[in-house]
Amino acid sequence: MTLWNLSLQNLKSKPLYSFLSVFTLALGIALLLGMQQLKQTFKHHVAPNLGAIDVVVGAKGSPLQLVLASVLHVDHPTGNIAYVTAQKIAKNPMVKSAVPLSYGDNYKGFRIVGTTAPFLTLYQAEFNKGRKVEKAMEVVLGATVAQQLQLRLGDRILSAHGLLENSIDVHADAFTVVGILKPTQKVIDRLIICNLQSVWEVHKHENRAAHASHDHGAAEKEITALLVTFKSPRALLSLPPKLNKMPYIQAALPKYELDKLYETMGIGFKAITGLAYLIFFISGLILFTNLYKMVKERTFDVAILRTYGASHTQLIRIVAQEGLAIGIVAFISAYALITGGLGALITRIHNTTHMYTLQSLSLQELLETGISVFILIIVSVLLAIYPILKMDISTILSHDT
Amino acid sequence: MIQTDNLTFRYKKSKALFRFPKITLARHENLLILGTSGIGKTTLLHLLAGLLTPISGKIQIGGTDISTLSQKQLDAFRGAHIGLVFQKKHAISSLTVFENLQTRLYFSNTSVNNEKIETLLKDLDLYQLQKAKVRTLSEGQLQRLGIALAVVHNPQVILADEPTSSLDDANCKNAIALLKQQAARTNAHLIVITHDHRIKTDFEKTIVL
Repeated sequence: MTLWNLSLQNLKSKPLYSFLSVFTLALGIALLLGMQQLKQTFKHHVAPNLGAIDVVVGAKGSPLQLVLASVLHVDHPTGNIAYVTAQKIAKNPMVKSAVPLSYGDNYKGFRIVGTTAPFLTLYQAEFNKGRKVEKAMEVVLGATVAQQLQLRLGDRILSAHGLLENSIDVHADAFTVVGILKPTQKVIDRLIICNLQSVWEVHKHENRAAHASHDHGAAEKEITALLVTFKSPRALLSLPPKLNKMPYIQAALPKYELDKLYETMGIGFKAITGLAYLIFFISGLILFTNLYKMVKERTFDVAILRTYGASHTQLIRIVAQEGLAIGIVAFISAYALITGGLGALITRIHNTTHMYTLQSLSLQELLETGISVFILIIVSVLLAIYPILKMDISTILSHDT
Repeated sequence: MIQTDNLTFRYKKSKALFRFPKITLARHENLLILGTSGIGKTTLLHLLAGLLTPISGKIQIGGTDISTLSQKQLDAFRGAHIGLVFQKKHAISSLTVFENLQTRLYFSNTSVNNEKIETLLKDLDLYQLQKAKVRTLSEGQLQRLGIALAVVHNPQVILADEPTSSLDDANCKNAIALLKQQAARTNAHLIVITHDHRIKTDFEKTIVL
């Protein structure tokens, strides 16, 4: 029989109090962890994808839309720009690298991007299997694409027109899978990569067949966007304004656009985080109330233990361990709930949009929340042991009858 | 050896001063303290147990004057050398009979010896009930468990507060017999305070408050 044993027996003899304490505390912790995880996932989803991209050049329209489409690959592009214009920009002495992107098709909902070899370097992507694209109608698959569609080297895929999956508007030409990339946790995992030539070729047929709904065509070659990296940050001040004065094209700054987006979303995040902390605090109050009631209801047991020679410190340890046990069980439950529940939710979103991959909580975040829980428990315990300190055993024992 | 001298006590917020007669017990001597309600019987017992601190006077138990001990030292002394028996409440109700005895030994700082507990339980006819939760025991069984808890750590003194008041005649006799038997076995002094005159004849030494 140890002090731990006594603590656990106390909890077991009050199943309702114990359950309520664990339940509300777990709920509070789960909300905190969940918020952190969502925030982390959002950040992780965006930040690494910016990489070295300083400016995105594309057709005029909403700069945020251009950034979302060409950097995060979630929105529709603003339109196309002439390849010649893009080449001119790429030759500017201030430009370090310029990667063209050309959109138009998808395969089972995954976007097919026509681009050049440096695109892979932009995301530090490495080959898991196979080789890079060498000629038209060859594709390299991002890790998620290959895994979810169960595609292997040598497989042939038929692209569908547009960016959404459909079976009506399927192109006749088949792409051949020549390479599969390692997972990078960046957007490239969800992309199918081919060269620019492929996109142009697929849509040449289309123009002949007179698809009036899209203006891919013209004799002139077009691309959707150009991802530009500058040699020095000073170019950020001089080049984009110049580009924005040109007809038909705009230069969007992804960091600036996404920061703006963050700010808007940040208010929502803050509100929910505040709410999570409030519930966490209330769960602390409930924990304190239950511990306090348990101590009060056991007054006689505590007095008996004192006659056995138990010191104040030992009695306080018993209560502290009860709080700790509740905290540990609640934390583990909350963690299981978060990894299980939120994981399932994100997997559902992920399957429908191929967008988010849930970031697992970092050790630091778990530790931070763990410390908050620990502080909450310590405070609850300190308040709950007050009756023990104030207790007059002699009086309690005198009322034995 | 137990000796008290010039013992006085006053409760906080109370004017009444309790003066207690001198107690001297030689080896193997037991004592019955009789008195009506409110005369200070329980107060005296709690002074002897170190649960209350006297205003003046000495309480010598074995070689120790417990009136000079600090709170912490008192806790330790009580755990090791004193066994208390109460009228009704005896044990922690969420634990089993056996766990209660283990707990008692744990706090007395003596190593927990399961064999010793079993022997004691057999002695007190509680062996079959060792795994029973305390709340399921009958009055008589509870009283025997109370005695077991008071002696399991081989104390120097067993202090019993109205141990027989809620028992019928048969159980009353039995309880006193067991208390005396256990006191003799562990070489402890037995001090019983009561207003129950049924047990008057069971003690050689009596003090009336």
